[in-house]
Amino acid sequence: MKTKNGSFAVRASVVAVQSALVALAAMSPAQAAEGDDAARRLTQPTNVIEVGAGYVSDDSAKFGEYNGLSNKGIYGIFNFDIRGGGDYGSGDATRWRATGTDLGLETRDIHLEYGQQGKFRIDVNYDELRRERSDTFQTPYLGAGSNLLTLPSNWLKPFVPQVSGSAINFRSLSPTTGLAPSNVGGVVTPPTPAQQATVNNIIATDVPAFQNVDLSTKRKALDAGISYNIGPRWEFKASAKHEKKDGLKPMGAVTSQVSEYATIMPDLIDQTHDQYNASLTYTGESSFFQVAYYGSVFHNDVSSMTWQDVNDPTKTATLSSAPSNSFHQILLTGGYNFSPTTKLVLNGSYGRNTQDDQFVTAGQNAQFPLGLPVSSLDGKVVTTAFSAKLTAKPVKDLNVAAAYKYDNRDNQTPVNTYFFQDANEARAAAASPFNAALGLPANTLGSNINIYANRPYSKKINQFNADADYAVAKGQRIQGGYEYQEIERKCDGSWINCADAPKTRENTLRAEWRANVVENLSGRLAYAYSERRVNYDENAFLALVPMANVVPAGGATVSAYQYLQQTGLTGFGPVAGFPSAPLTGNAAIFSPNNNILPQALYGSRNNINEEVGMRRFNMADRNRNKVRGSVNWDASDRLSLQGGLDYNKDDYDNSVYGLKNAETWALNLEGTYVINADFTAQAFYTYEDIQSQSAGISYAANSNTAFVGQAGNTIVSGGCFATVLAKNSNAKIDPCSNWSTDMRDKVDTFGAGFKYRNLMGGRLEIAGDLVYTHARTDIGVAGGSYANNPFALAAPAPALAPGVPAVIFIPAANTPTATTKTIELRLGGQYAIDKASALRVLYWYQHLKSNDYVYDGMQFGTLTNIIPTNEQPFNYNVHVVGVTYIYSWR
Amino acid sequence: MLPVQKIAALGALIGLFLAGAVAAADSPPPPDMAVKNEAAQKALAKDAVCTTCHNESWRVPVLSIYQTRHGNRADPKAPNCQSCHGDSAGHQKDPAGVHPDVVFAVNSKNISSPDDRNGACLGCHKTGLRMHWAGSEHQSRDVSCSNCHTVHIPNDPVLAKATQPEVCYACHKTQRAQTHRISTHPILAGKMACSDCHNPHGSTGPKLLVKNSVNETCYTCHAEKRGPFLWEHGPVVDDCSNCHTPHGSTNAPLLKARVPWLCQECHSGDHGAAINSGANLPNGNVTTINGTQPLANQSPRTQMNARACLNCHVLVHGSNHPAGAKFQR
Repeated sequence: MKTKNGSFAVRASVVAVQSALVALAAMSPAQAAEGDDAARRLTQPTNVIEVGAGYVSDDSAKFGEYNGLSNKGIYGIFNFDIRGGGDYGSGDATRWRATGTDLGLETRDIHLEYGQQGKFRIDVNYDELRRERSDTFQTPYLGAGSNLLTLPSNWLKPFVPQVSGSAINFRSLSPTTGLAPSNVGGVVTPPTPAQQATVNNIIATDVPAFQNVDLSTKRKALDAGISYNIGPRWEFKASAKHEKKDGLKPMGAVTSQVSEYATIMPDLIDQTHDQYNASLTYTGESSFFQVAYYGSVFHNDVSSMTWQDVNDPTKTATLSSAPSNSFHQILLTGGYNFSPTTKLVLNGSYGRNTQDDQFVTAGQNAQFPLGLPVSSLDGKVVTTAFSAKLTAKPVKDLNVAAAYKYDNRDNQTPVNTYFFQDANEARAAAASPFNAALGLPANTLGSNINIYANRPYSKKINQFNADADYAVAKGQRIQGGYEYQEIERKCDGSWINCADAPKTRENTLRAEWRANVVENLSGRLAYAYSERRVNYDENAFLALVPMANVVPAGGATVSAYQYLQQTGLTGFGPVAGFPSAPLTGNAAIFSPNNNILPQALYGSRNNINEEVGMRRFNMADRNRNKVRGSVNWDASDRLSLQGGLDYNKDDYDNSVYGLKNAETWALNLEGTYVINADFTAQAFYTYEDIQSQSAGISYAANSNTAFVGQAGNTIVSGGCFATVLAKNSNAKIDPCSNWSTDMRDKVDTFGAGFKYRNLMGGRLEIAGDLVYTHARTDIGVAGGSYANNPFALAAPAPALAPGVPAVIFIPAANTPTATTKTIELRLGGQYAIDKASALRVLYWYQHLKSNDYVYDGMQFGTLTNIIPTNEQPFNYNVHVVGVTYIYSWR
Repeated sequence: MLPVQKIAALGALIGLFLAGAVAAADSPPPPDMAVKNEAAQKALAKDAVCTTCHNESWRVPVLSIYQTRHGNRADPKAPNCQSCHGDSAGHQKDPAGVHPDVVFAVNSKNISSPDDRNGACLGCHKTGLRMHWAGSEHQSRDVSCSNCHTVHIPNDPVLAKATQPEVCYACHKTQRAQTHRISTHPILAGKMACSDCHNPHGSTGPKLLVKNSVNETCYTCHAEKRGPFLWEHGPVVDDCSNCHTPHGSTNAPLLKARVPWLCQECHSGDHGAAINSGANLPNGNVTTINGTQPLANQSPRTQMNARACLNCHVLVHGSNHPAGAKFQR
């Protein structure tokens, strides 16, 4: 946007890095020569060809994330911008243009356009974008680039024999942790020679199998469009874009639910996305009308990923990749001016989104004992939207607007029930309590079967806005606004309400003051307050489990859902400790020992209830305060200063658990100084502070177990209870199980730049730009958790000495600060050799240093259950130099 | 095809393009061209009212407009100077004393009101991207066309991906800082511009997004997330910005908060209830029991480190696998 001081200030980095045509756009012409020559220079388009070479000093995937410069070495620079057609003063309206940017890199772009202005225009565009993701990722899997990943034939299951002879354990891949002593029967014991040999063999066989696989994805898009004027009032437009995206991304996947170990692998991406647009527009004197079509067809050439099990390579696991889908939408828009100041604009759209890929069924361990209800989803979502906006100026200096918006995402996907075992998990020996109810022979399904129904979420928004803006005095305006938004959520076909908040209502009031009171000083202050209230349904999770509406076998007289309704409980069960007297009847079945609803009694392998008082923040009661202020001051003819402050605070006061509040504020300062007509400088500083707090409770199951391992191991150290019995009896309501987090991101960004032209007799222009960013992320965690003393073991291990705790409460610790510092420096210069030629030099230095604990868990020897990938936090120092020759002509 | 071959093919296409243009320029003008030429010269003559003084020697290079579509005199719809700046009879009589009817220059004492400046543009440009201009966020805050668009120069910076964001950053400075963070969209690299997601001229979507909703806008590039999936993840189909912040973040990939705590803002069932503490992370605080790291919730939890919940629950945007209800398949 233009500032008051001088012409538009294009950021120097753009001048330095992008092609010369951008520099020419920003440059004012060199000292004007006389007469026709000057007129020609101003009125005739300049054609530019730029050729040269650049050099990148280091390999870095992160530096080259989006700019195509990830590899050390020389790269070609080739840009052009060529135009032609009729002369501006002639009757020939033909105009054409061809531009090419970064043609030597995998971020190249070519654009061609041709047309008869006023009649038609054709555009064609080809664009590439390579996204580098990691150059430090390692995997033992072979077959990266295909959707079948295999392990080397000599792969040995990683385990630490002195800890367990059977459980997979990736710590065996590091000698430090693989050969560490272990707790054997209460005694710290070094590994035996045989155990050491096993681990060494695993290290010698498996570690060399880890190979680097560069992860990146590339998009290539071809876009063509035409616009055609049919007479003075009608315009027809159509365009089509075909984009192909392929490459590899890192992806984690659990191989076995039983032992819960995950494999991080190179996920194959091979997709196409076609988008079509067409529109017909009528523009009248006081009205307009448009009918438009948008179509989007997404096709995934990869239907699934299959990988061998690191625990047992004779087995494989398969997951489903994103399904192909399509979306077609018709839009109608019309506007009418009742008067020059009273306008009504209406818009309506109807869209259909469908997906019907055949289900991927390759599974492990007889995953679907009853087969599937359907072979594909037949998914369909119909979105209808309507909006109306009326703007008017009823009296002088007063503007008013009223708007209504309706948006309905109607998910018409059929609901079916799916019976499946979790990954690699055999059916439990015990029978499911629902075999008889389902009409199946007894013992068909095990108690750990998942009997889930899909939940097709629908969402309907009704919104009403009213705004008024009034000039209270010269140069001063106040604005007020009100918004009411109501959202309804549901799942058609679900046996019970599926939405945590079927209805939410939000009222917002806004006020703003804008002033340009003194000629060179303007400011703005705005405040908005919103209040959202919902009717929360803590049992909405039951929509996933239709068996909650069926009486289970085993003595119950009601279904799980009926039990919750009768007792007013949620799936969490009573907020109580171990019962003083044994429970009887349905209470003993559905909330044994006052614990949570047993998952087998509603047909689930996992507990899916939430804690009492947990609120999903997007559907929770919320109070929101927003303040925005800014000041623009032209301190002098040369100096202009801007300052701004944004503040947002969201409070979720009715949420006991979950997100409790979120607060962000940002401070922006900027100054532009015009030293003289040829020399400008600017600097800016932004500080952003993003904080959120949430809460939870790591409850355990109530029990009356009084010791750990053996009688006598009864002491608890720390926490809220002194004995194991007291702690276990109050496991669900232990105040010390409450925890909270305080997450904070603080980022400083500082930038400075300059542009100096008409040096060396008007031939030389230089520009520079520097940006420094310092980001810190801190997660404060309050609370703690209990851990058993690893030496509190069953006999024949020795009992703990008197006074030694069997259970220890470990207070939580904050995460180490994750920090990122970046320096981006760009310098460029352009020297005009003569009227047609110029030489451009660019220098770019970028430094990133980051220190982030999440990478610690990706190293060898850190995690037991997650395969290491050796990914490193991003750190680089890269220099780029480039020299190009620019030839221009008219 | 190798990149070299692709460039060669495109080069050939461009060559044909140029050859056609040159051939067209060399052939004699058709008979009706004489009529069109005369019409164009008439249009130019109207400009001469202004360009007699505001010529190639004028301190501001206004004649560059002839390189743009506005200056194409063969197009009868293209404006002349007075179409936008007004008849300015007073200014013609007394150039030094009376300003033109419509003044666009931001540093002029006589700058016209936003409504007057906008009226000059909207007279022709009232449909297309500007259908929802009236009452939109920018219009109602007196941002005018000429605050962002520059018509008298050969290339309007706001119309090119590489230079557009700078125009927006004049007011939206927080977003400028966000594009320098460790997880971003390719805005700094010039491959994406603000207008890929936003329509600053007004729209039916929230936050001036190009489509009716946040999700529809994101799906124009991320269609693999659209589904519908067999097992949908509620916050995903509700609004991508429940979890993501699109301009830039310190938490990859463009997340508002880190995993696993982001997930725990909604999930407290099963192992989602457990505390995720930083104890025993390398470079962090160390907690032991009698010198032995406890292999319990805090040493560190598997579900907290590396990719946290996403180590296992990877298909977090939805799964179409019949056994994928827990987003692991």
